[in-house]
Amino acid sequence: MDLNLIKKLVKIVDTSEITDLEVEENGLRIKVAKKLRTFRTYDQPQVVIGNSSLQESTEKIAPAKETNSAVEIAENVHEIKSPIVGTFYRAPAPDADSYVQVGDTISQGAVLCIVEAMKLMNEIESDVSGKIIKILAENGKPVEYNQPLFLVQTS
Amino acid sequence: MFDKILIANRGEIALRIIRTCKELGIKTVAVFSEADRESLHVTFADEAVCIGPAPSKDSYLKIPAIISAAHITGADAIHPGYGFLAENANFSEICAESDIKFIGPSPQMIKSMGDKAFAKNTMRKTGVPVVPGSDGVIKESSEGRSIAEEIGYPVIIKASAGGGGKGMRVVWERSEFDNAFQMAQNEAGSAFGNSEVYIEKFVENPRHVEIQVLGDSFGNIYHYGERDCSVQRRHQKLIEESPSPALDQKLREKMGDAAILGAHSVNYEGVGTIEFLLDKNKNFYFMEMNTRIQVEHPVTEYVYDVDLIRQQILVAAGEKVETLPKQPNGHSIEFRINAEDPEKGFRPSPGKITSVHFPGGFGVRVDSHIYNSYSIPPYYDSLIAKLIVWGQNREHALARARRALEEFVVEGIKTTIPFHLQVLQDKRFLKGNFDTGFLDNFFKD
Repeated sequence: MDLNLIKKLVKIVDTSEITDLEVEENGLRIKVAKKLRTFRTYDQPQVVIGNSSLQESTEKIAPAKETNSAVEIAENVHEIKSPIVGTFYRAPAPDADSYVQVGDTISQGAVLCIVEAMKLMNEIESDVSGKIIKILAENGKPVEYNQPLFLVQTS
Repeated sequence: MFDKILIANRGEIALRIIRTCKELGIKTVAVFSEADRESLHVTFADEAVCIGPAPSKDSYLKIPAIISAAHITGADAIHPGYGFLAENANFSEICAESDIKFIGPSPQMIKSMGDKAFAKNTMRKTGVPVVPGSDGVIKESSEGRSIAEEIGYPVIIKASAGGGGKGMRVVWERSEFDNAFQMAQNEAGSAFGNSEVYIEKFVENPRHVEIQVLGDSFGNIYHYGERDCSVQRRHQKLIEESPSPALDQKLREKMGDAAILGAHSVNYEGVGTIEFLLDKNKNFYFMEMNTRIQVEHPVTEYVYDVDLIRQQILVAAGEKVETLPKQPNGHSIEFRINAEDPEKGFRPSPGKITSVHFPGGFGVRVDSHIYNSYSIPPYYDSLIAKLIVWGQNREHALARARRALEEFVVEGIKTTIPFHLQVLQDKRFLKGNFDTGFLDNFFKD
Protein backbone atom coordinates (compact mmCIF):
# COMPACT_ATOMS: atom_id res chain seq x y z
CA MET A 1 0.00 0.00 0.00
CA ASP A 2 1.51 3.30 -1.10
CA LEU A 3 1.23 5.55 1.94
CA ASN A 4 2.72 8.46 0.04
CA LEU A 5 -0.11 8.27 -2.49
CA ILE A 6 -2.66 8.29 0.30
CA LYS A 7 -0.94 11.23 1.98
CA LYS A 8 -1.01 13.15 -1.29
CA LEU A 9 -4.70 12.43 -1.85
CA VAL A 10 -5.57 13.51 1.70
CA LYS A 11 -3.64 16.73 1.17
CA ILE A 12 -5.45 17.44 -2.09
CA VAL A 13 -8.85 17.09 -0.45
CA ASP A 14 -7.80 18.92 2.70
CA THR A 15 -6.47 21.99 0.95
CA SER A 16 -9.12 22.34 -1.71
CA GLU A 17 -12.89 22.74 -2.09
CA ILE A 18 -13.17 19.10 -3.14
CA THR A 19 -15.30 17.05 -0.73
CA ASP A 20 -15.04 13.61 -2.35
CA LEU A 21 -12.21 12.05 -4.30
CA GLU A 22 -12.09 8.48 -5.49
CA VAL A 23 -9.13 6.82 -7.20
CA GLU A 24 -8.97 3.29 -8.56
CA GLU A 25 -5.93 1.43 -9.84
CA ASN A 26 -5.20 -2.29 -10.21
CA GLY A 27 -8.19 -3.34 -8.20
CA LEU A 28 -7.40 -1.02 -5.33
CA ARG A 29 -9.92 1.73 -4.72
CA ILE A 30 -9.11 4.63 -2.46
CA LYS A 31 -11.78 7.13 -1.45
CA VAL A 32 -11.02 10.31 0.45
CA ALA A 33 -14.03 12.25 1.72
CA LYS A 34 -14.38 15.42 3.69
CA LYS A 35 -17.36 16.05 5.90
CA LEU A 36 -18.37 19.65 5.77
CA ARG A 37 -19.84 20.73 9.03
CA THR A 38 -21.34 24.17 9.44
CA PHE A 39 -20.63 24.21 13.16
CA ARG A 40 -17.72 24.31 15.53
CA THR A 41 -15.26 21.51 14.81
CA TYR A 42 -12.55 21.44 12.19
CA ASP A 43 -12.92 19.52 8.95
CA GLN A 44 -11.10 16.23 9.06
CA PRO A 45 -10.47 14.27 5.92
CA GLN A 46 -11.41 10.64 6.34
CA VAL A 47 -9.77 7.84 4.49
CA VAL A 48 -11.75 4.80 3.43
CA ILE A 49 -9.81 2.01 1.79
CA GLY A 50 -11.67 -0.61 -0.17
CA ASN A 51 -10.22 -3.41 -2.24
CA SER A 52 -12.73 -4.33 -4.88
CA SER A 53 -11.15 -7.71 -5.59
CA LEU A 54 -11.30 -8.98 -2.02
CA GLN A 55 -14.45 -9.79 -0.12
CA GLU A 56 -13.14 -9.59 3.40
CA SER A 57 -12.90 -6.29 5.18
CA THR A 58 -9.46 -5.12 6.19
CA GLU A 59 -10.67 -2.36 8.44
CA LYS A 60 -8.85 -1.71 11.63
CA ILE A 61 -11.03 -1.68 14.67
CA ALA A 62 -9.48 1.56 15.86
CA PRO A 63 -9.95 4.32 13.27
CA ALA A 64 -6.59 5.22 11.72
CA LYS A 65 -5.09 8.09 13.72
CA GLU A 66 -8.23 10.18 13.81
CA THR A 67 -7.94 12.74 16.51
CA ASN A 68 -11.66 12.78 17.10
CA SER A 69 -12.23 15.31 19.79
CA ALA A 70 -14.58 14.45 22.59
CA VAL A 71 -16.28 17.80 21.97
CA GLU A 72 -19.88 17.66 20.74
CA ILE A 73 -20.20 17.93 17.01
CA ALA A 74 -22.71 20.72 17.29
CA GLU A 75 -24.71 22.47 19.95
CA ASN A 76 -27.77 20.24 19.78
CA VAL A 77 -26.32 17.03 18.37
CA HIS A 78 -25.35 14.44 20.95
CA GLU A 79 -23.13 11.41 20.40
CA ILE A 80 -24.20 8.16 22.04
CA LYS A 81 -21.02 6.21 22.74
CA SER A 82 -20.46 2.59 23.60
CA PRO A 83 -19.65 2.14 27.30
CA ILE A 84 -18.06 -1.23 26.67
CA VAL A 85 -16.05 -3.26 24.18
CA GLY A 86 -18.14 -5.74 22.21
CA THR A 87 -20.21 -6.44 19.13
CA PHE A 88 -22.92 -3.99 18.04
CA TYR A 89 -26.39 -5.23 17.15
CA ARG A 90 -29.31 -3.11 15.95
CA ALA A 91 -31.96 -5.59 17.08
CA PRO A 92 -32.56 -7.89 20.07
CA ALA A 93 -32.44 -10.99 17.82
CA PRO A 94 -31.33 -11.78 14.24
CA ASP A 95 -34.86 -11.82 12.81
CA ALA A 96 -36.34 -9.12 15.04
CA ASP A 97 -36.93 -5.48 14.15
CA SER A 98 -34.21 -2.94 14.89
CA TYR A 99 -34.66 -1.03 18.10
CA VAL A 100 -34.47 2.32 16.29
CA GLN A 101 -34.25 3.77 12.80
CA VAL A 102 -32.97 7.09 11.55
CA GLY A 103 -35.70 9.66 12.12
CA ASP A 104 -37.16 7.98 15.22
CA THR A 105 -37.91 10.12 18.21
CA ILE A 106 -36.61 8.58 21.40
CA SER A 107 -36.78 9.47 25.06
CA GLN A 108 -34.04 9.31 27.66
CA GLY A 109 -33.56 5.75 28.85
CA ALA A 110 -34.83 4.18 25.63
CA VAL A 111 -32.92 1.11 24.50
CA LEU A 112 -31.16 1.91 21.23
CA CYS A 113 -29.10 -1.20 20.57
CA ILE A 114 -27.29 -4.17 22.03
CA VAL A 115 -23.55 -4.48 22.57
CA GLU A 116 -22.70 -8.08 23.15
CA ALA A 117 -19.69 -8.81 25.35
CA MET A 118 -18.62 -12.16 26.75
CA LYS A 119 -21.88 -13.79 25.68
CA LEU A 120 -23.94 -11.20 27.53
CA MET A 121 -26.35 -8.97 25.64
CA ASN A 122 -26.02 -5.47 27.08
CA GLU A 123 -28.84 -3.10 26.28
CA ILE A 124 -27.50 0.37 25.59
CA GLU A 125 -29.84 3.13 26.70
CA SER A 126 -29.96 6.67 25.44
CA ASP A 127 -28.85 9.29 27.93
CA VAL A 128 -30.83 12.01 26.15
CA SER A 129 -34.20 12.53 24.46
CA GLY A 130 -34.37 13.55 20.85
CA LYS A 131 -34.35 12.34 17.27
CA ILE A 132 -31.96 9.77 15.78
CA ILE A 133 -30.23 11.49 12.89
CA LYS A 134 -27.44 9.03 12.19
CA ILE A 135 -26.38 5.49 13.00
CA LEU A 136 -22.59 5.37 13.15
CA ALA A 137 -21.84 1.72 13.86
CA GLU A 138 -22.45 -1.26 11.65
CA ASN A 139 -24.67 -4.17 12.65
CA GLY A 140 -22.67 -7.18 13.74
CA LYS A 141 -19.37 -5.31 13.80
CA PRO A 142 -17.05 -4.85 16.79
CA VAL A 143 -17.05 -1.61 18.72
CA GLU A 144 -14.53 -0.33 21.25
CA TYR A 145 -14.89 1.72 24.43
CA ASN A 146 -16.38 5.17 23.73
CA GLN A 147 -16.87 4.47 20.07
CA PRO A 148 -19.71 6.71 18.78
CA LEU A 149 -22.82 4.66 17.92
CA PHE A 150 -25.62 7.15 17.27
CA LEU A 151 -26.11 10.83 16.66
CA VAL A 152 -29.18 12.21 18.41
CA GLN A 153 -30.56 15.64 17.74
CA THR A 154 -31.75 17.10 21.01
CA SER A 155 -33.83 20.21 21.22
CA MET B 1 1.49 -21.90 17.38
CA PHE B 2 -0.84 -19.04 18.18
CA ASP B 3 -2.42 -17.10 15.37
CA LYS B 4 -3.07 -13.88 17.23
CA ILE B 5 -1.98 -12.66 20.67
CA LEU B 6 -3.65 -9.86 22.59
CA ILE B 7 -1.21 -7.99 24.82
CA ALA B 8 -2.99 -7.02 28.03
CA ASN B 9 -0.51 -4.35 29.01
CA ARG B 10 1.01 -1.04 27.97
CA GLY B 11 4.27 0.89 27.73
CA GLU B 12 7.65 -0.70 27.16
CA ILE B 13 6.64 -4.28 27.94
CA ALA B 14 3.75 -4.19 25.47
CA LEU B 15 6.24 -3.12 22.79
CA ARG B 16 8.65 -5.83 23.88
CA ILE B 17 6.02 -8.54 23.48
CA ILE B 18 4.74 -7.18 20.17
CA ARG B 19 8.28 -7.25 18.75
CA THR B 20 8.79 -10.94 19.54
CA CYS B 21 5.31 -11.79 18.24
CA LYS B 22 6.15 -10.15 14.92
CA GLU B 23 9.36 -12.18 14.69
CA LEU B 24 7.33 -15.34 15.28
CA GLY B 25 4.80 -14.35 12.61
CA ILE B 26 2.03 -13.98 15.19
CA LYS B 27 -0.57 -11.24 14.71
CA THR B 28 -0.87 -8.76 17.56
CA VAL B 29 -3.70 -6.89 19.25
CA ALA B 30 -3.00 -3.93 21.50
CA VAL B 31 -5.49 -2.74 24.07
CA PHE B 32 -5.35 0.81 25.34
CA SER B 33 -7.05 3.24 27.66
CA GLU B 34 -8.12 6.63 26.38
CA ALA B 35 -5.00 8.13 27.94
CA ASP B 36 -2.81 5.83 25.84
CA ARG B 37 -4.32 6.56 22.43
CA GLU B 38 -1.00 8.04 21.25
CA SER B 39 1.10 5.30 22.78
CA LEU B 40 3.65 3.43 20.67
CA HIS B 41 2.32 -0.04 21.42
CA VAL B 42 -0.98 0.98 19.82
CA THR B 43 0.83 1.96 16.62
CA PHE B 44 3.11 -1.08 16.49
CA ALA B 45 0.36 -3.68 16.90
CA ASP B 46 -1.62 -4.98 13.93
CA GLU B 47 -4.91 -4.11 15.61
CA ALA B 48 -5.85 -1.95 18.56
CA VAL B 49 -8.94 -1.75 20.74
CA CYS B 50 -9.80 1.02 23.18
CA ILE B 51 -10.94 -0.72 26.34
CA GLY B 52 -11.76 2.07 28.77
CA PRO B 53 -10.98 5.43 30.33
CA ALA B 54 -7.62 6.34 31.83
CA PRO B 55 -7.80 4.80 35.32
CA SER B 56 -6.25 1.32 35.36
CA LYS B 57 -9.17 -0.21 37.22
CA ASP B 58 -11.45 0.79 34.34
CA SER B 59 -9.12 -0.30 31.57
CA TYR B 60 -5.97 -2.42 32.02
CA LEU B 61 -7.44 -4.14 35.07
CA LYS B 62 -10.93 -4.49 33.63
CA ILE B 63 -11.21 -8.18 32.85
CA PRO B 64 -14.49 -8.09 30.88
CA ALA B 65 -13.17 -5.36 28.60
CA ILE B 66 -10.00 -7.30 27.86
CA ILE B 67 -11.75 -10.61 27.26
CA SER B 68 -14.28 -8.88 25.06
CA ALA B 69 -11.48 -7.27 23.07
CA ALA B 70 -9.95 -10.73 22.58
CA HIS B 71 -13.31 -12.08 21.39
CA ILE B 72 -14.01 -9.38 18.86
CA THR B 73 -10.51 -9.57 17.40
CA GLY B 74 -10.39 -13.35 17.43
CA ALA B 75 -7.23 -13.48 19.53
CA ASP B 76 -6.44 -17.05 20.66
CA ALA B 77 -3.99 -16.08 23.41
CA ILE B 78 -3.39 -13.25 25.86
CA HIS B 79 0.01 -12.15 27.12
CA PRO B 80 -0.37 -10.27 30.40
CA GLY B 81 3.17 -8.81 30.58
CA TYR B 82 4.10 -7.88 34.17
CA GLY B 83 2.02 -6.09 36.80
CA PHE B 84 -1.69 -5.49 36.05
CA LEU B 85 -3.32 -8.92 35.61
CA ALA B 86 -0.13 -10.97 35.17
CA GLU B 87 -0.53 -12.74 38.51
CA ASN B 88 -4.29 -12.55 38.84
CA ALA B 89 -5.61 -16.07 39.34
CA ASN B 90 -9.13 -14.96 38.49
CA PHE B 91 -8.00 -13.62 35.12
CA SER B 92 -6.08 -16.81 34.34
CA GLU B 93 -9.22 -18.78 35.09
CA ILE B 94 -11.52 -16.59 33.01
CA CYS B 95 -9.15 -16.88 30.05
CA ALA B 96 -9.30 -20.66 30.34
CA GLU B 97 -13.10 -20.59 30.53
CA SER B 98 -13.23 -18.28 27.51
CA ASP B 99 -11.09 -20.67 25.50
CA ILE B 100 -8.20 -18.21 25.33
CA LYS B 101 -4.69 -19.35 26.21
CA PHE B 102 -3.31 -17.29 29.10
CA ILE B 103 0.45 -16.98 28.54
CA GLY B 104 1.27 -17.52 32.17
CA PRO B 105 0.59 -20.06 34.89
CA SER B 106 -2.61 -21.82 35.84
CA PRO B 107 -4.95 -20.25 38.40
CA GLN B 108 -3.90 -22.85 40.98
CA MET B 109 -0.21 -22.07 40.47
CA ILE B 110 -0.77 -18.33 40.86
CA LYS B 111 -2.78 -18.90 44.03
CA SER B 112 -0.25 -21.20 45.63
CA MET B 113 2.83 -19.10 44.88
CA GLY B 114 0.93 -15.93 45.79
CA ASP B 115 0.31 -17.26 49.26
CA LYS B 116 3.71 -16.42 50.76
CA ALA B 117 3.44 -18.71 53.76
CA PHE B 118 2.29 -21.62 51.61
CA ALA B 119 5.03 -21.05 49.03
CA LYS B 120 7.66 -20.94 51.74
CA ASN B 121 6.35 -24.11 53.32
CA THR B 122 6.28 -25.93 50.00
CA MET B 123 9.88 -24.97 49.30
CA ARG B 124 10.98 -25.94 52.80
CA LYS B 125 9.43 -29.40 52.46
CA THR B 126 11.14 -29.85 49.12
CA GLY B 127 14.52 -29.10 50.63
CA VAL B 128 14.99 -25.58 49.30
CA PRO B 129 16.59 -23.44 52.02
CA VAL B 130 14.13 -20.94 53.46
CA VAL B 131 14.59 -18.20 56.02
CA PRO B 132 14.47 -20.09 59.31
CA GLY B 133 11.41 -19.23 61.33
CA SER B 134 8.41 -20.34 63.27
CA ASP B 135 6.17 -22.99 61.81
CA GLY B 136 3.17 -20.68 61.50
CA VAL B 137 1.63 -18.21 63.88
CA ILE B 138 2.96 -17.71 67.43
CA LYS B 139 0.38 -17.05 70.14
CA GLU B 140 2.51 -16.64 73.27
CA SER B 141 5.54 -14.50 73.81
CA SER B 142 7.29 -17.31 75.69
CA GLU B 143 6.85 -19.64 72.74
CA GLY B 144 8.28 -16.94 70.49
CA ARG B 145 11.26 -16.46 72.77
CA SER B 146 12.28 -20.12 72.64
CA ILE B 147 11.99 -20.18 68.86
CA ALA B 148 14.14 -17.07 68.72
CA GLU B 149 16.75 -18.88 70.85
CA GLU B 150 16.72 -21.77 68.36
CA ILE B 151 17.03 -19.58 65.28
CA GLY B 152 19.50 -17.20 66.85
CA TYR B 153 19.21 -13.43 67.21
CA PRO B 154 18.52 -11.09 65.51
CA VAL B 155 14.97 -12.15 64.64
CA ILE B 156 12.08 -10.28 63.10
CA ILE B 157 8.49 -10.52 64.28
CA LYS B 158 6.12 -10.13 61.30
CA ALA B 159 2.39 -9.75 60.89
CA SER B 160 0.87 -12.74 59.16
CA ALA B 161 -1.70 -10.65 57.34
CA GLY B 162 0.68 -7.85 56.70
CA GLY B 163 3.08 -6.02 54.51
CA GLY B 164 4.48 -2.59 53.87
CA GLY B 165 6.66 -2.66 56.96
CA LYS B 166 3.74 -2.58 59.40
CA GLY B 167 3.44 -5.01 62.27
CA MET B 168 7.16 -5.75 62.08
CA ARG B 169 9.72 -5.56 64.83
CA VAL B 170 13.38 -6.48 64.72
CA VAL B 171 14.68 -7.96 67.97
CA TRP B 172 18.41 -7.89 68.55
CA GLU B 173 18.57 -9.62 71.93
CA ARG B 174 16.52 -11.66 74.34
CA SER B 175 15.78 -8.85 76.76
CA GLU B 176 13.90 -6.90 74.11
CA PHE B 177 11.76 -9.81 72.95
CA ASP B 178 8.62 -9.66 75.10
CA ASN B 179 8.08 -5.96 74.57
CA ALA B 180 8.68 -6.19 70.82
CA PHE B 181 6.27 -9.14 70.59
CA GLN B 182 3.46 -7.20 72.20
CA MET B 183 4.11 -4.07 70.10
CA ALA B 184 4.09 -6.08 66.88
CA GLN B 185 0.80 -7.73 67.80
CA ASN B 186 -0.82 -4.40 68.65
CA GLU B 187 0.36 -2.78 65.44
CA ALA B 188 -0.76 -5.75 63.35
CA GLY B 189 -4.15 -5.68 64.99
CA SER B 190 -4.74 -2.03 64.29
CA ALA B 191 -3.23 -2.00 60.76
CA PHE B 192 -4.73 -5.24 59.40
CA GLY B 193 -7.44 -6.18 61.88
CA ASN B 194 -5.47 -9.37 62.53
CA SER B 195 -2.91 -9.47 65.30
CA GLU B 196 -1.38 -12.82 64.36
CA VAL B 197 2.39 -12.77 64.09
CA TYR B 198 5.16 -15.19 63.16
CA ILE B 199 8.92 -15.08 63.57
CA GLU B 200 11.78 -15.24 61.11
CA LYS B 201 15.51 -14.96 61.26
CA PHE B 202 16.37 -11.37 60.47
CA VAL B 203 18.79 -11.20 57.58
CA GLU B 204 20.37 -7.78 57.82
CA ASN B 205 20.87 -5.95 54.54
CA PRO B 206 20.90 -9.05 52.40
CA ARG B 207 21.62 -9.08 48.70
CA HIS B 208 18.58 -9.75 46.58
CA VAL B 209 19.59 -12.45 44.11
CA GLU B 210 16.98 -14.07 41.90
CA ILE B 211 17.18 -17.04 39.55
CA GLN B 212 15.43 -17.09 36.17
CA VAL B 213 13.67 -20.40 35.53
CA LEU B 214 11.79 -21.71 32.52
CA GLY B 215 9.61 -24.80 32.40
CA ASP B 216 8.15 -26.41 29.28
CA SER B 217 5.03 -28.57 29.07
CA PHE B 218 7.08 -31.78 28.96
CA GLY B 219 8.34 -31.53 32.51
CA ASN B 220 11.71 -29.98 31.69
CA ILE B 221 12.83 -27.07 33.83
CA TYR B 222 15.90 -24.98 33.15
CA HIS B 223 17.57 -22.05 34.86
CA TYR B 224 19.32 -19.14 33.18
CA GLY B 225 21.46 -17.94 36.03
CA GLU B 226 20.95 -15.11 38.43
CA ARG B 227 20.21 -11.43 38.57
CA ASP B 228 21.41 -9.24 41.43
CA CYS B 229 18.72 -6.67 42.16
CA SER B 230 20.03 -5.29 45.44
CA VAL B 231 20.06 -1.63 44.36
CA GLN B 232 16.56 -0.70 45.50
CA ARG B 233 14.84 2.38 46.75
CA ARG B 234 11.86 1.68 49.02
CA HIS B 235 11.76 -1.89 47.76
CA GLN B 236 11.64 -0.73 44.13
CA LYS B 237 14.48 -2.05 41.98
CA LEU B 238 16.50 0.58 40.15
CA ILE B 239 19.59 -1.23 38.86
CA GLU B 240 19.91 -4.94 38.10
CA GLU B 241 22.79 -7.01 36.79
CA SER B 242 23.82 -10.47 35.72
CA PRO B 243 25.95 -12.21 36.88
CA SER B 244 25.91 -11.15 40.53
CA PRO B 245 29.28 -9.87 41.78
CA ALA B 246 28.64 -11.95 44.91
CA LEU B 247 28.36 -15.34 43.19
CA ASP B 248 31.02 -17.72 42.01
CA GLN B 249 30.29 -20.67 39.74
CA LYS B 250 29.85 -23.03 42.68
CA LEU B 251 27.27 -20.87 44.42
CA ARG B 252 25.53 -20.25 41.12
CA GLU B 253 25.15 -23.98 40.64
CA LYS B 254 23.86 -24.46 44.17
CA MET B 255 21.29 -21.70 43.87
CA GLY B 256 20.32 -22.74 40.35
CA ASP B 257 19.78 -26.33 41.48
CA ALA B 258 17.70 -25.15 44.44
CA ALA B 259 15.58 -23.01 42.12
CA ILE B 260 15.00 -25.92 39.73
CA LEU B 261 14.15 -28.19 42.65
CA GLY B 262 11.61 -25.67 43.87
CA ALA B 263 10.10 -25.18 40.42
CA HIS B 264 9.83 -28.96 39.91
CA SER B 265 8.01 -29.36 43.20
CA VAL B 266 5.11 -27.35 41.79
CA ASN B 267 5.43 -28.67 38.22
CA TYR B 268 6.12 -25.17 37.04
CA GLU B 269 5.50 -24.22 33.42
CA GLY B 270 6.49 -21.00 31.73
CA VAL B 271 8.90 -18.29 32.80
CA GLY B 272 9.32 -17.68 36.49
CA THR B 273 11.73 -16.13 38.93
CA ILE B 274 12.74 -17.48 42.32
CA GLU B 275 13.89 -14.74 44.66
CA PHE B 276 16.51 -15.47 47.30
CA LEU B 277 18.08 -13.47 50.06
CA LEU B 278 21.83 -13.83 50.23
CA ASP B 279 23.37 -13.03 53.58
CA LYS B 280 26.88 -11.83 54.33
CA ASN B 281 28.09 -15.39 54.71
CA LYS B 282 26.77 -16.42 51.29
CA ASN B 283 23.89 -18.41 52.75
CA PHE B 284 20.84 -18.15 50.55
CA TYR B 285 17.21 -18.38 51.58
CA PHE B 286 14.04 -18.67 49.50
CA MET B 287 11.94 -15.52 49.67
CA GLU B 288 9.23 -15.86 47.06
CA MET B 289 8.46 -16.99 43.54
CA ASN B 290 7.18 -14.67 40.80
CA THR B 291 5.15 -16.46 38.17
CA ARG B 292 5.56 -13.97 35.33
CA ILE B 293 8.17 -12.28 33.12
CA GLN B 294 10.06 -9.64 35.08
CA VAL B 295 11.02 -6.09 34.20
CA GLU B 296 14.74 -6.90 34.40
CA HIS B 297 14.66 -9.95 32.11
CA PRO B 298 16.90 -8.26 29.46
CA VAL B 299 20.10 -8.64 31.48
CA THR B 300 19.60 -12.41 31.40
CA GLU B 301 18.87 -12.22 27.68
CA TYR B 302 22.22 -10.56 27.00
CA VAL B 303 24.32 -12.88 29.15
CA TYR B 304 22.60 -16.11 28.11
CA ASP B 305 21.85 -15.04 24.53
CA VAL B 306 18.17 -15.93 24.82
CA ASP B 307 14.88 -14.23 23.89
CA LEU B 308 12.90 -15.04 27.03
CA ILE B 309 9.57 -13.76 25.70
CA ARG B 310 10.04 -15.96 22.66
CA GLN B 311 10.70 -19.02 24.83
CA GLN B 312 7.71 -18.10 26.94
CA ILE B 313 5.40 -18.03 23.93
CA LEU B 314 6.84 -21.26 22.49
CA VAL B 315 6.34 -23.06 25.77
CA ALA B 316 2.80 -21.72 26.15
CA ALA B 317 2.05 -23.05 22.65
CA GLY B 318 3.19 -26.51 23.79
CA GLU B 319 6.52 -26.43 21.99
CA LYS B 320 10.02 -27.20 23.22
CA VAL B 321 12.41 -24.57 24.54
CA GLU B 322 14.53 -23.35 21.63
CA THR B 323 17.46 -21.85 23.49
CA LEU B 324 18.89 -23.96 26.29
CA PRO B 325 21.02 -22.34 28.96
CA LYS B 326 24.80 -22.40 28.56
CA GLN B 327 27.66 -20.74 30.37
CA PRO B 328 27.03 -17.05 31.05
CA ASN B 329 28.86 -14.79 28.63
CA GLY B 330 30.03 -11.39 29.78
CA HIS B 331 28.23 -9.02 32.10
CA SER B 332 25.02 -7.05 31.68
CA ILE B 333 23.53 -4.20 33.70
CA GLU B 334 20.09 -2.61 33.44
CA PHE B 335 19.19 0.91 34.54
CA ARG B 336 15.53 1.74 34.99
CA ILE B 337 14.88 5.23 33.65
CA ASN B 338 11.87 6.69 35.43
CA ALA B 339 10.06 9.96 34.80
CA GLU B 340 11.00 11.18 38.29
CA ASP B 341 13.00 14.07 39.70
CA PRO B 342 15.86 12.66 41.77
CA GLU B 343 16.55 16.09 43.23
CA LYS B 344 13.04 16.37 44.60
CA GLY B 345 12.70 13.05 46.36
CA PHE B 346 12.05 11.20 43.10
CA ARG B 347 8.77 13.00 42.68
CA PRO B 348 6.95 11.82 39.51
CA SER B 349 7.51 14.08 36.52
CA PRO B 350 4.87 13.39 33.86
CA GLY B 351 4.53 15.74 30.93
CA LYS B 352 5.53 16.23 27.32
CA ILE B 353 8.87 15.00 26.06
CA THR B 354 10.27 17.71 23.84
CA SER B 355 13.40 15.92 22.73
CA VAL B 356 14.63 12.37 23.04
CA HIS B 357 17.74 10.63 21.77
CA PHE B 358 18.52 7.04 22.65
CA PRO B 359 22.13 5.91 23.06
CA GLY B 360 23.40 3.36 20.58
CA GLY B 361 26.43 1.36 19.63
CA PHE B 362 27.64 -2.13 20.37
CA GLY B 363 26.31 -3.74 23.49
CA VAL B 364 23.64 -1.08 24.13
CA ARG B 365 19.92 -1.85 24.23
CA VAL B 366 17.04 0.52 25.00
CA ASP B 367 13.57 -0.87 25.70
CA SER B 368 11.26 2.12 25.65
CA HIS B 369 7.95 3.42 24.39
CA ILE B 370 8.80 7.11 24.45
CA TYR B 371 9.31 9.31 21.40
CA ASN B 372 9.65 12.97 20.49
CA SER B 373 6.58 14.98 21.55
CA TYR B 374 5.10 12.03 23.47
CA SER B 375 3.14 13.07 26.54
CA ILE B 376 3.60 10.80 29.52
CA PRO B 377 0.20 10.17 31.12
CA PRO B 378 0.09 10.60 34.90
CA TYR B 379 -2.07 7.53 35.54
CA TYR B 380 0.49 4.74 35.34
CA ASP B 381 3.92 3.88 36.67
CA SER B 382 6.85 6.13 35.92
CA LEU B 383 9.07 3.69 34.02
CA ILE B 384 9.75 5.25 30.62
CA ALA B 385 12.80 3.36 29.46
CA LYS B 386 15.21 0.58 30.35
CA LEU B 387 18.83 1.02 29.38
CA ILE B 388 20.62 -2.31 29.24
CA VAL B 389 24.33 -2.66 28.48
CA TRP B 390 26.56 -5.64 27.92
CA GLY B 391 30.32 -5.86 28.31
CA GLN B 392 32.98 -8.58 28.29
CA ASN B 393 33.22 -8.22 32.06
CA ARG B 394 31.77 -5.99 34.76
CA GLU B 395 34.36 -3.25 34.35
CA HIS B 396 33.68 -3.02 30.64
CA ALA B 397 29.92 -3.01 31.22
CA LEU B 398 30.28 -0.17 33.72
CA ALA B 399 32.34 1.91 31.28
CA ARG B 400 29.80 1.29 28.55
CA ALA B 401 26.95 2.16 30.91
CA ARG B 402 28.52 5.50 31.77
CA ARG B 403 29.10 6.25 28.09
CA ALA B 404 25.52 5.30 27.15
CA LEU B 405 23.89 7.25 29.98
CA GLU B 406 25.84 10.32 28.97
CA GLU B 407 24.47 9.95 25.44
CA PHE B 408 20.89 9.47 26.63
CA VAL B 409 18.93 12.68 26.10
CA VAL B 410 15.41 13.22 27.41
CA GLU B 411 14.13 16.79 27.57
CA GLY B 412 10.87 18.28 28.74
CA ILE B 413 10.63 16.10 31.84
CA LYS B 414 12.91 15.05 34.68
CA THR B 415 14.40 11.57 34.65
CA THR B 416 16.59 9.41 36.85
CA ILE B 417 19.46 9.46 34.32
CA PRO B 418 21.55 11.89 36.41
CA PHE B 419 20.96 9.72 39.46
CA HIS B 420 22.33 6.64 37.67
CA LEU B 421 25.42 8.57 36.62
CA GLN B 422 26.02 9.44 40.26
CA VAL B 423 25.71 5.80 41.33
CA LEU B 424 28.28 4.96 38.67
CA GLN B 425 30.78 7.13 40.53
CA ASP B 426 30.28 5.38 43.83
CA LYS B 427 33.32 3.31 44.82
CA ARG B 428 31.30 0.64 46.58
CA PHE B 429 29.04 0.14 43.60
CA LEU B 430 31.99 0.06 41.21
CA LYS B 431 33.61 -2.66 43.33
CA GLY B 432 30.41 -4.66 43.45
CA ASN B 433 30.18 -4.30 47.22
CA PHE B 434 26.55 -3.50 47.76
CA ASP B 435 23.44 -4.99 49.30
CA THR B 436 19.83 -3.88 49.78
CA GLY B 437 21.02 -1.25 52.26
CA PHE B 438 23.22 0.41 49.66
CA LEU B 439 20.88 3.16 48.47
CA ASP B 440 19.86 4.16 51.99
CA ASN B 441 23.50 4.87 52.73
CA PHE B 442 24.05 6.42 49.32
CA PHE B 443 21.41 9.05 49.96
CA LYS B 444 22.81 9.85 53.36
CA ASP B 445 26.22 10.73 51.91
